[in-house]
Amino acid sequence: MNDTPDLEQTATADNGGALDPRKAARLLEQTSREARRQFDPTPPLLTALMGAVILCAFGALWLSVLGQHPYTGPNVGVIALVYVTVAVTAAVTVRVHQRAIAGVSGPSTRQRTVEGIAVLVSILGSPVIQGAMKEYGASASIVYGVIPAAAPLIIVGTTVVGIAGSKSDWPSFGAALAVVAGGVVALFVGPIDAWLVAGISLFIGVVGYAAATTWQGRAVGRV
Amino acid sequence: MTEEALDPLIHASARLRIVATLAALPEGDALSFTRLQDMLELTPGNLITHLRKLEDAGYLTSEKTGNGTAARTSIGLTGRGRAALTAYTAALRGLLGGL
Repeated sequence: MNDTPDLEQTATADNGGALDPRKAARLLEQTSREARRQFDPTPPLLTALMGAVILCAFGALWLSVLGQHPYTGPNVGVIALVYVTVAVTAAVTVRVHQRAIAGVSGPSTRQRTVEGIAVLVSILGSPVIQGAMKEYGASASIVYGVIPAAAPLIIVGTTVVGIAGSKSDWPSFGAALAVVAGGVVALFVGPIDAWLVAGISLFIGVVGYAAATTWQGRAVGRV
Repeated sequence: MTEEALDPLIHASARLRIVATLAALPEGDALSFTRLQDMLELTPGNLITHLRKLEDAGYLTSEKTGNGTAARTSIGLTGRGRAALTAYTAALRGLLGGL
């Protein structure tokens, strides 16, 4: 697609008429807010919705293991449902992200790619630990309970804490820290409640992030 | 403070919207001409004229990559442009505070 009009070509410009300061302030606020909204790869409403979906998914996992004696782990049907939910959420997120960054080029897009790779690699950490635990004969409570519920929160959360801290992205930093803390708590509450604690901490982190970015967006746009 | 304190290059609705939109990007990033045009809903000729004025003042940079059907123009706000918008916003604030 050729989207390159020649900047040397002549045209008549519409200056938009005289601007009084109040109108200018309003226009500046509106334009800034709208531009930030359009460039935002994680819109607060979608993020909050994702938080609710995560809470429901972890809630379903928790309900599927509730009352198990001995603990055997979540049932296959619930695990499949969670995978489908994760896949749909990931697809929607990628679509929204692509729309937000369409036409944008420069250092931030390259940095985002690197960050995405770091997070993807860290996601692999938990199944690796799970596999090793199984190999060494750890119980089902550990292999199919505590580790899959708590380890992703700690490993991925710590990665995000590092990335967010290096960019002074405080909403992400706070959200990731809350998730890491939740992961630590989940390690000590047993294999059943670990799912519930993990779901609640992810929900708090994600919804807290959505609220913080909404507040930040409003504060920055003010003239 | 009077309205003369407002940078005349930015104090025009189309150019104010261009600069404010580009300032919403992280520093150093650029936006394709097509996306900018879509966002601002300006005609190509109108947008080009305003971009030239801002580029002549050193507020913007434009970079053309590729050629033929793959050609693409990216527009980014320079440090000078970002500083000018900050100064404009401060002047606007001062002016409105005094009204």
